[in-house]
Amino acid sequence: MWRLGSAMTGSKFSYGWKQNLQFSVSTTFHLNPGEHPVGRFAATMPGNPEVEGLLAWRFVHKSTGIATRNECTLFVGGSALTQQPLRADGPPLDRQPGLYGALAAGHISRTYSVWTGAGFQHYGAWNSHELDHQSDTFLTSLALGWRPPFLAHDYPKPDFRLFWETTGERIGHAWRSATEPVTTPPPGGGHYQDWVAQQSTPNSSGVVVLPNSGGSGVYSGPTFLCTYRGVAFQAGVLFRVWDQPNGTQPADRFRAMVGFSYFFLGGRRRGK
Amino acid sequence: MSFYARGVLVSVALAGLLIAVQPVQAEYLRIQLKVYGLDCELCARGVGFSVQRLDGVKSVDVSLKKGMLDIVLKRGNTFKMSALRKRIRENGFRPMETTVTAVGQYNGSRFEVLGSGESYEIGNTDSKPSNPVEITFDAPQSLN
Repeated sequence: MWRLGSAMTGSKFSYGWKQNLQFSVSTTFHLNPGEHPVGRFAATMPGNPEVEGLLAWRFVHKSTGIATRNECTLFVGGSALTQQPLRADGPPLDRQPGLYGALAAGHISRTYSVWTGAGFQHYGAWNSHELDHQSDTFLTSLALGWRPPFLAHDYPKPDFRLFWETTGERIGHAWRSATEPVTTPPPGGGHYQDWVAQQSTPNSSGVVVLPNSGGSGVYSGPTFLCTYRGVAFQAGVLFRVWDQPNGTQPADRFRAMVGFSYFFLGGRRRGK
Repeated sequence: MSFYARGVLVSVALAGLLIAVQPVQAEYLRIQLKVYGLDCELCARGVGFSVQRLDGVKSVDVSLKKGMLDIVLKRGNTFKMSALRKRIRENGFRPMETTVTAVGQYNGSRFEVLGSGESYEIGNTDSKPSNPVEITFDAPQSLN
């Protein structure tokens, strides 16, 4: 995924061991962190450089007609940072575990589809003495899908769908400890605590809330999905509709994404 | 007649006897199954591969537009419709009406696909033959 001035990449491995249960492990990396608020890479992939395990339970699944079904899925996951994300406003924050929960619902037909969902990413602390905190994220999304008649080929020809996706996110402030020493020296060298003291005054909890962290925004734009012979290719661009950074970060004007997936469709072993 | 020649004759006679007592093979030959929920190429590919792996399946054609699986079975199979429906559900889809071509035997108002242990309510059985026959019929969603 690319934003103006920043880039991320990631990979995900998913395994469905029951009809309605799927487990996935994803890893994401920041190629160029930029200064934008970090939310989620995608609904099922984290935005920080971390490894995330995610359990998806499709608790509603009704096939209501030919090529038509309704679904609701609950996602629950945990993550651990693999890199300390670089920050434009100072040394990296300590690594912390993350928890993620989301709910998604969709109606799919041969011609149209609609998906909507919401999720919350929270970062905690490995122990009570680590007071650095990455931004929490609340994410909502709506995707409207359309398969034009001229692209509605029957199997086994390639399958195309066009989408219009809209995401809204609210990313909270990050904060750093004003008391815990870190190994990374502040910009220009010197003592970290002195540097923090110059930036802002710690609050009563002993942390400095980073003013240029987080923000809210709404992004919308076209995407498409093509599947053929077990391979899926998806790409799209979401443009800023509205955003309000918490601080003085530059505007996140667009987000572009390209994704490849391969599905191992061997199925179950031969049997009666 | 030499001992060897008598042995060959006995073997041939035994083989003939075995063939004579073997029942006429009864089996599913073709199943056209309507499936709800198939909406994409990956769905079709996945369910097609999965059904292809069932014992006795010769070929599977999937139509997304019709929501239909057309399954041709090998001769001498022991295929069960219940296994097919279970496999469809395991893939996350819903098996619906079926058109079946099978060899079987009438038993009262039911048509038994011998060897599979499965039978179907066919309706009026007046003047129906009692020996195995090949017929095509619409099967309900529930078996037996």
